Parts: sequence; C-alpha cells; structure tokens
Amino acid sequence: MRQYRTVRGHQQRVARRVLGTVAVACTLPASAEVSAQSLIEGALDLTRGTSSYTELSMTIHRPSWERTLSLVAWTRGREDALIRFTAPPKDAGTATLKKGERMWTYAPKIGREIRLPSSMMSQQWAGSDFSYNDLSRTDNYLRYYDFEIVHAEHRDGHTIYTLDMVPHDDAPVVWGKETLVLRDDYVTLSQTFYDQELEPVKRMETLTVGELGGRTFALAMRMQTVDKPDSWTEIRYVAADFDAVVDDSRFTTFALRGR
Amino acid sequence: MTLAGGMPARLLLQLSWRNIWRHRRRNAILLSAIAVAVAGVMLLNTMMRGMQQDMMNTAIENLTGHAKILEPSYLDDPGIERGFAVDDGWQRALPDHVQGWASRIRIPAVVMSERETRGIQLVGVDPALESISFLGDADVQGERLSGPDDARILVGALLAEALDTATGRRLVLVTQGADGRTREAGFRIAGIYRAEIAGLERAFVFTGLTALQRLLDTDNVTEISIRLDDEDRETSTIEALAGSFENLSVVSWRQLEPQAAAMVEVSGVTIYILFVIVMGALIFGLVNTLVTAVMERLQELGMLRAIGMRPRAVVAQVVVESSVIMAIGVAAGLALARAVFAFVADGIDLTAFDDSLASFGMRPTFVPVFDIRDVVLIAVLSLALSVLASFYPARRAVKIKPLEALRR
Repeated sequence: MRQYRTVRGHQQRVARRVLGTVAVACTLPASAEVSAQSLIEGALDLTRGTSSYTELSMTIHRPSWERTLSLVAWTRGREDALIRFTAPPKDAGTATLKKGERMWTYAPKIGREIRLPSSMMSQQWAGSDFSYNDLSRTDNYLRYYDFEIVHAEHRDGHTIYTLDMVPHDDAPVVWGKETLVLRDDYVTLSQTFYDQELEPVKRMETLTVGELGGRTFALAMRMQTVDKPDSWTEIRYVAADFDAVVDDSRFTTFALRGR
Repeated sequence: MTLAGGMPARLLLQLSWRNIWRHRRRNAILLSAIAVAVAGVMLLNTMMRGMQQDMMNTAIENLTGHAKILEPSYLDDPGIERGFAVDDGWQRALPDHVQGWASRIRIPAVVMSERETRGIQLVGVDPALESISFLGDADVQGERLSGPDDARILVGALLAEALDTATGRRLVLVTQGADGRTREAGFRIAGIYRAEIAGLERAFVFTGLTALQRLLDTDNVTEISIRLDDEDRETSTIEALAGSFENLSVVSWRQLEPQAAAMVEVSGVTIYILFVIVMGALIFGLVNTLVTAVMERLQELGMLRAIGMRPRAVVAQVVVESSVIMAIGVAAGLALARAVFAFVADGIDLTAFDDSLASFGMRPTFVPVFDIRDVVLIAVLSLALSVLASFYPARRAVKIKPLEALRR
C-alpha cells in the first residue's frame, strides 16, 4: 500500500510541503474511474521528491498579536528534513531536524540541540498551530485508515472529491474522522479533523493554488482550530527548487547548529 | 510484708489513701484534670494512629505493596527496557504470610485525546491479581478490564475530565517499546475509575498486561508487587525474597514511598511529644497538690517522725499518694477516652477538606485506631511521671525537723 502519511493528514502533508517534498503529478486522471485509494496516492505523489530546497513564510495570528516568520527548508526523500528560521532576528537560527520519526530542535540562545521526547511531540511547533507530530509523521499511516469518496462535484473545470478517512480502532489517531477535499489534479483544497463525537476540531484550508518551481500545488494554507476563529497559522511558499542537490551532511545535528 | 522504713505496705497504702480522702474537693479537681488530659492525649493518639495507618495503607495500595521486586536500575529510569522475565514457578519463593501479589508493567507514557495531551503512568495489569491494590475495589463507571488480554484501558475520572473524553471513546497512547523505539496505538476506554486519592486518578492508566506486552514486543514485566498479611514481618520477608531473586532488587514500600514513610515515622514521634507536653504541664499541678498536702501536715509528719517513722517511710508515703492519684486519674481518663472513641470508631467524615488531605496521601474519611499498646504506654509513662513528680514534695517531707514541727 502506498503511503499517505496522516495521523494528522493534511497538516502533515502541509508540513511535508513546508519541508519541501513537493513533486509534480504529471498527468491528470484520464478517466472518471476514480477510487479513493488512487486519489490519495495521487495526492501523495504530488508531495514526493528526491530532495528539495524551499523558502516559506509562516504567519501566526492570535487575537492580540500576529507575527510572521521566514524559514528555509531542505528535504531528502520523505524521511529527512531540516528547517531553519531566518527572520525575525529573535527566531533566526532556531532549527528543527527530522530524521525518520525522530526530531531534534536547536535554539541558538541556549546553544544546545534537544532530542524531542515523545511527550513533546504533540506540542506546538514554534508557537504555531502545527505540532511537532505534524512535521514528524512518516508515511506508513495510510494503513490506519479506511477511505471512502462521499461526494464529487464539478467546479471551475475540475472535479472536486470529498473523502472520508476513518481511523481503525487501534490506530494511533485521536480523531474520530477526517475529511479531505481533493481536486482531480490531486491538489488538496481542505482537510477537517473531527473529534469522536464527529464535531470538527481543526481545519486546514488551501488559500491559493498556483505554480512554483514547475509544479502546481497549494501555495498558501491556513490551519486553525475550529472553536478559535481568531487564532490561525498560515504558510506561504515563497520559492521552491525541487530536485535541488542537497548534501547528506545537511541532515545532521551538526548542521542543525547552523554550521 | 514490709516496705521502706520497716513499715507494712498495707499501712502505708491506708495512710496515703486516707490522706487523699481528707481533701476530697482538691483531689477531685486534680483527678479530673488528669483524667481529661489523659483522655485528650489518648484520643489524639487514636487519631494519629488512624492517620498513620491510613497513610501507610494508601502508600501500600498505591500500586506499591509492602515490597516490590524490581530490576535494580528501574527506579532511576523506569521503562520497559528495565523489565525482567518471570519464571513460571517464581511464586514458590514467596513466604506463607503473603496476602497477594501482582506482576505488572508500569512505564511512563503520553496519552492524547482530540484536544489534550497528558503524561501518565501506563500500567499493564492482570485484573484478577489487583485485589491487593486500590484498583481492586475502585468504583468503575463503565466496564472493568476483563483479563490480561483486554486491550482496552481504564482511565481515572480526573484524567478523563482533563482530556475531555468519555467511556467508549478512544485515546492514543505513546510510549517506548522494548527495542527503544516509540510505540503508539489507539485504545478504547472500557471504563472510568474513581480513586479515594485524587492524584491516583490523574496518574494511572490501566490496560491488560498481555495486551501491553504485545504492543511493547516483550514477555517481561517491570515489577512484582507483594502484599503481606502481617506487616510486622516485612523485613524478614524482604530478606527471604532478596535471597531468591539474586539479580533483582526487593524494595520495601518505605523506600518506594519515602514521603509517606517519613510522615508515618514523624506522626509516631508526635504522639510522644504531645504526651510529654500535656503530662508535663499536669505534673506541676500534681507537685503543687502534693507540696500543699505535705505543708498542711507538718505537725502530723513531725509527730510521726518523733515517734519513730523512718524518713524512707515518709518518702514512700508521698510517692504512694502521688501514684494513687495518678493511677485513678489515668484509669478515669482512659475510660473516658474509650467512651468518646466509641462515637468516632466508625470513621470521621472529612470530605469537606478532601483536597488538602489528599495532598498528604490521606482519605476523606479516616478511622481512628485505639491501640492497646498505646494504653499501656500511657499508663506506664504516667505512673513513672507521678513518681518523678513526688520527688520534690517527698524531699520537703523528709526535711521536716520533728522538734520544729511539733513546736508550732
């Protein structure tokens, strides 16, 4: 089974895009013969690449303040990634390294890298609405879900599919259900996370779909908790170079320190 | 039979007894003071003993037992990689006076609901063996675990509230497997338990032992908890067990729950301190009464000396008088304490102070304990004090010069 990593499905896919593992689906689906499985695999393929370099901006909005951070990310395959904040100066140098499911962070102020214990993995990443888990999930989460296309409609020359993803009983997924809205060219439009009473808890929405680095994908996304309309995190791609050459030494705790 | 100074003991007693009856009112007041003080100390004592017992039981039921068999480094860094294998016949090593035992896996874990994340202790149990811990008789809303194979979880009521979850829903648990890698899985909540100590509800999540072993990829357990019938044999049992589990540590609850053990010890000492303070104050009353009694009888004592009573007999007379007063007072006091105790013997409801008590590891209702050893202790110590108290009055009595006394 091909992997759609998703304990927190879309967040995480975005996270992976943050990490730059975006690749192009070259062809649109040829026929109306579309299964939930093929859609999800297609969406996965869209976010796949051997290595990449991306520049992003992240805006964290709270009722009383808002701040925008700039970051750069290198990725290799689906396992390894390094993200470093470049602005504002207060955050510049702070970095997160992911190797498989393990993560480290580095804060220049204390001059140490910290291996994140599992207890911290569900905490917020850099104060955003994303958690470390969203960044760290690997690909084999597809096996934890049952998928079903519950709705399809035509809009702006595309077919828009709504998928229900229901986690299995023993899956390490807290959600009762996730719904995923995909375009027929595999661009994700939104993803909603429901609690076990099937009330929506978190929602991720694509704000802009566009072309960057030769690929068409969601260029801007907003993650937000449903009952906190004044708090959200937006991520925008500024530049992307897919299939960039990234050195192996990029993904070491030494590189994490920015040397 | 003769006592000090060649005087028959019976005569001495008679003399003292009559002296006491000469001043009924004065002595009655003194007697009531002693009785009330002794009753007070005894009742406080029963409460202290009750508290002590309660803290100890709580510590022991708090998944501790009287003793635990552990891998030596487990306490420094709890985790499944510090578990050990249990042979089939290991129970043979147990002494006879063991009330029960339970093997468990107890490891730190993170529990997540849709909205919240908490750090907890994940405990894999065989529910049939848990009669030795608080889990055995805890109130469970929903279902209990059906057996060691049950892969559902039991969650404390306060934790369930904090996680905003309910019976029948799923939680995700994250912990470390035997190979050091992260394990995570969804668990359905079988039931929600209530514990008398609120902290336990936040701390422990239970699941089936075999089910947890499967998740962690291991056949090991991290602890065997043992509860004894007779807590006085704790030390010898621990020694016996330590002999049969050579590579493992056998640890007493006093080491596992040092705070509770310290509280138990401190309250033991507090009993003596209280006794000394209350009885110390009383002693001055007794001394005063005895001195007055001696001074009133200056002429009489002078006469007795003049007709040949030995100084020792005079001393003996005062000592006997003091002891008789004390003995009657203590007897009355203990009787009073026993009578009052009958009203509170079933337990005192302290639900109103629930939270603050829980922080001391105590239950909201606590049962005072009337220990016969304390009765004996109080009686013996009181009599010893009364002898001590008669020293000064007796000295005064001995110093009386017959001539001067008679001339008055």
